[in-house]
Amino acid sequence: MLKLHGNLPVLNSSTRDSYLVTVTTNANLPPVLKRNRALLLQPNQDPKGYKVILAKELEGKVFDADSDVFQVSDDYDYLIEGDIIRLDPSSGSFNSLYRRNSPHNTILLTEQCNHYCLMCSQPPKDVDDSWLLQEAFELISLIPTDTEALGFSGGEPTLYGDRLIDLLHHTKRSLPNTAIDILSNGRAFKELEFAKKYAAVEHPDMLIGIPIYSDDPVRHDYVVQSRGAFDDTIKGVLNLKKVKQKVEIRIVIHKQTIDRLVKTCEFIARNLLFVDHVALMGLEITGFTRPNLDVLWIDPYEYKDILSEAVAVLNGYGMNASVYNHQLCTVNPDVIGNYRKSISDWKNEYLDECISCTKSGDCGGLFSSAKMYKHSKYIKAFT
Amino acid sequence: MSQFQAIEFYKTPQPSYRLLPFRFTTLDQDQYVLTNMAGEYLVSARDKLSDLLQHKLSNNDPTYIELRARHFLIDDNSSIAPELLSIKLRTRYDRLAEFTGLHIFVVTLRCEHSCPYCQVSRQSEDKLRYDMSSEIATGAIDLAFRSPSPNIKIEFQGGEPLLNFDLIKFIVLEAKKKNQQRGKNLAFVIATNLALVNDDILKFCRDHSILISTSLDGPKDLHNANRPRPGGNSYEKTVEGVNLVRQMLGRDQVSALMTTTEASLNRVKEIIDEYLAQDFNGIFLRPLSPYGFAIKTKSYRAYNAKRWLDFYKEGLEYIIELNRQNINFMEYYAATVLKKMLTSEDPGYVDLMSPSGIGIGAVVYNYDGSVYASDESRMLAEMGEEKFKLGKVLENSYEQIFTSPNLLDPLEESFAYSAPMCNDCAFEPYCGADPVFHYALYKDYVGRKPESEFCSRNMETFRFLIRKMEGDRFVRQLFTKWANS
Amino acid sequence: MKDSEKEAKSVAVSFDGHVFSLMAVKKAAYRYIDSFSADISIKDEEIRCVLNFTSPRSDESCARLVDDFKKEVLDQELREKLKAETEPVRNLILAHAFSKTGIVSNEPVSGD
Repeated sequence: MLKLHGNLPVLNSSTRDSYLVTVTTNANLPPVLKRNRALLLQPNQDPKGYKVILAKELEGKVFDADSDVFQVSDDYDYLIEGDIIRLDPSSGSFNSLYRRNSPHNTILLTEQCNHYCLMCSQPPKDVDDSWLLQEAFELISLIPTDTEALGFSGGEPTLYGDRLIDLLHHTKRSLPNTAIDILSNGRAFKELEFAKKYAAVEHPDMLIGIPIYSDDPVRHDYVVQSRGAFDDTIKGVLNLKKVKQKVEIRIVIHKQTIDRLVKTCEFIARNLLFVDHVALMGLEITGFTRPNLDVLWIDPYEYKDILSEAVAVLNGYGMNASVYNHQLCTVNPDVIGNYRKSISDWKNEYLDECISCTKSGDCGGLFSSAKMYKHSKYIKAFT
Repeated sequence: MSQFQAIEFYKTPQPSYRLLPFRFTTLDQDQYVLTNMAGEYLVSARDKLSDLLQHKLSNNDPTYIELRARHFLIDDNSSIAPELLSIKLRTRYDRLAEFTGLHIFVVTLRCEHSCPYCQVSRQSEDKLRYDMSSEIATGAIDLAFRSPSPNIKIEFQGGEPLLNFDLIKFIVLEAKKKNQQRGKNLAFVIATNLALVNDDILKFCRDHSILISTSLDGPKDLHNANRPRPGGNSYEKTVEGVNLVRQMLGRDQVSALMTTTEASLNRVKEIIDEYLAQDFNGIFLRPLSPYGFAIKTKSYRAYNAKRWLDFYKEGLEYIIELNRQNINFMEYYAATVLKKMLTSEDPGYVDLMSPSGIGIGAVVYNYDGSVYASDESRMLAEMGEEKFKLGKVLENSYEQIFTSPNLLDPLEESFAYSAPMCNDCAFEPYCGADPVFHYALYKDYVGRKPESEFCSRNMETFRFLIRKMEGDRFVRQLFTKWANS
Repeated sequence: MKDSEKEAKSVAVSFDGHVFSLMAVKKAAYRYIDSFSADISIKDEEIRCVLNFTSPRSDESCARLVDDFKKEVLDQELREKLKAETEPVRNLILAHAFSKTGIVSNEPVSGD
């Protein structure tokens, strides 16, 4: 697992507030560019002129008095040219916000949420964190235009209302060739006016991912811990489709959703056939999942036949469906056509058992959280 | 964690549900089939149904949860169902506005076979009398292009249409020329016994992507007994023809239909095996046609409805077993019905449409310019009953033809939802109005459904398909695939 | 033991007019016209039916049909109640399904 957040010893600082900066390994940039770059210092490089220096050790090098100098350990060896980070010189807090070699970067817009999902991987905080939205505007301006894909998540991003729409317009202007996806519970779109504003962005490649956890409204409301959620979400999906926007339905598979998984897929096929994609996702053992593990955990190997049946329904109706966050040894061969190696690339690990596996190259492995806390007890190498 | 609520928090305490419109019909001794407004079905025990209707069903009952999820009731937890039902209904009826998609051109009545059950064909060498003229063909093409449907399929029938291949060429070229301005999806099919096919014909078909539909009634002896021709080699000619078509046009460019006769009824597996041997992907186990001799001897009717059902069930069971052994082979009649049961799409199958598919789904331009509301309408006319003749090409306008009382009256009167017994029937969304059949047998467009072979055969077929799906996961998945093909 | 003699039979059945509607009885009778014709009359708030079987049948066969007929009358009664109860929402759903405008509110939607 990559260390995307941490605290760095501050060896020198001239500013107090946090800021975003692009990482570079090039010690010979023109002076005007040095002024807004963070140099990953190598031996034999001259750090003078750089706004930020990230160094493992300084060996008596000379730097400018108004440079911020942070000490980095081997944990940060993943940083490369073009990564964008947030640094706070007063506390040393470090956050990687954009990684150049990640196939898909996600920007956190808020930790506020109007749901409280039993398995939430980003537990809601009722704190005004709108500075995250502000920062997102700046971050998008820094992100290179050849970025293929970018995601927005939270919390619930639509809580920002029109300001979220503004951000989407800004993203379209700054990154016209970048596909974007937004994770949302979709409820805000039950207001057709809001759906129309969203559609008015006229983005060439924008998808919104909306969870529906059951065809049974009571069960869905229970999983997201909000009464009336099901109806609002369906209404939101219908409105988004009315204004011709791309929609993905997401289902996280666990003990509270497994019993009706097949029926939920049939529901989607009969009522929401027009959605663009359905994502069936394995449980992530992080956030609220851990305290709720007794209510949520079911070994994927034990539900693999149900998963096969659910995938068969979606395939049977000609829908696009993908299976994420599962290990190849815990699913049946008949879902391989829908199996995707990974949504994210920074938290994938393998067990010792996996070293000899002939299919580890095709397998997404496990999340670090799974490796640490809970995973299928049937993980077994293919021979 | 204490801040998470248990599932009970999300249920309303008292069952205070409102019923949504649905219909119910018996499935067997103790079970009913319920269908909602969108035609989605659910099987329920009699006592649960009774509780449901008396508002006594508990919201903890698994049946309650199913009924809510499948849009048979709403309650304070969810009321989005009516909107979803509206959308599904709308989707189902969308196709109506497209209007006529299938245009059948009877290019000649001449045929070199003499099949006993065939209502229309006769042997004749009088080309002038029994061939369609190019003037009529042009007029018919104009009428076909008046249809608002974005998809126009022109099907050549006869007699044996290849006996007038020159006219087929003419029609194909004329239609394509006309389509340059219209931009429709134009498709062509020739329904032929293939006995007269040759390289020139095949080359033309290949150049213009014309599909071939032929007849294969089963193994050689069965097929040849059904279809006498000079030389007694209809089967051999058909098989030879199929292979030739495949070589020149492609494997899937030829399909086969069977005519079920008395002689077929005991031999369904052999017939299916014959289709497998000839490398077809599936078979259409068509209901027995009531025309011809079946009409003349009405007592034949009841006896044969049951026998046809036995034939059909045996055939379908066999095909399911083939699929269990990984042989991909489809039964097209089931697939048609299943599309109506398991999706919101309409397969556009004339005999199972309400409002009836006559005129709306298909229309026939006869060799003499007469326009008929459907293939069966033409057959009826050949037997002397012109009730479903809509007009004549070159003499009547498009408007006159398609607003003819001979079309509008049966459409309106046979509309299943308004018919006694159909009105309450849970299977009505899957069924159709068949005014031509009922008029042929009973002299009115609706008939009395309890006496109607069409009704009893259809109901038993629907029940059979539902029973097969309930409790057999493999069949359900197979049927889902068929429904979406 | 021989089957009881088959002959064309008639059976009388009556229904309490407070519990069952005439319409339900008539609709049920309609479903069985291939098996029997029914003479239906009302007397003293009782709906009386005489079922005239159209072809010879054994007593057991008649009894079964009469049983089925009674169940069907009950089903028809339930259907009527269901229809009456759901008529308003049925009309609403149909109106929305065939309207030219958007489904929920009556505003036109762009692109429709």
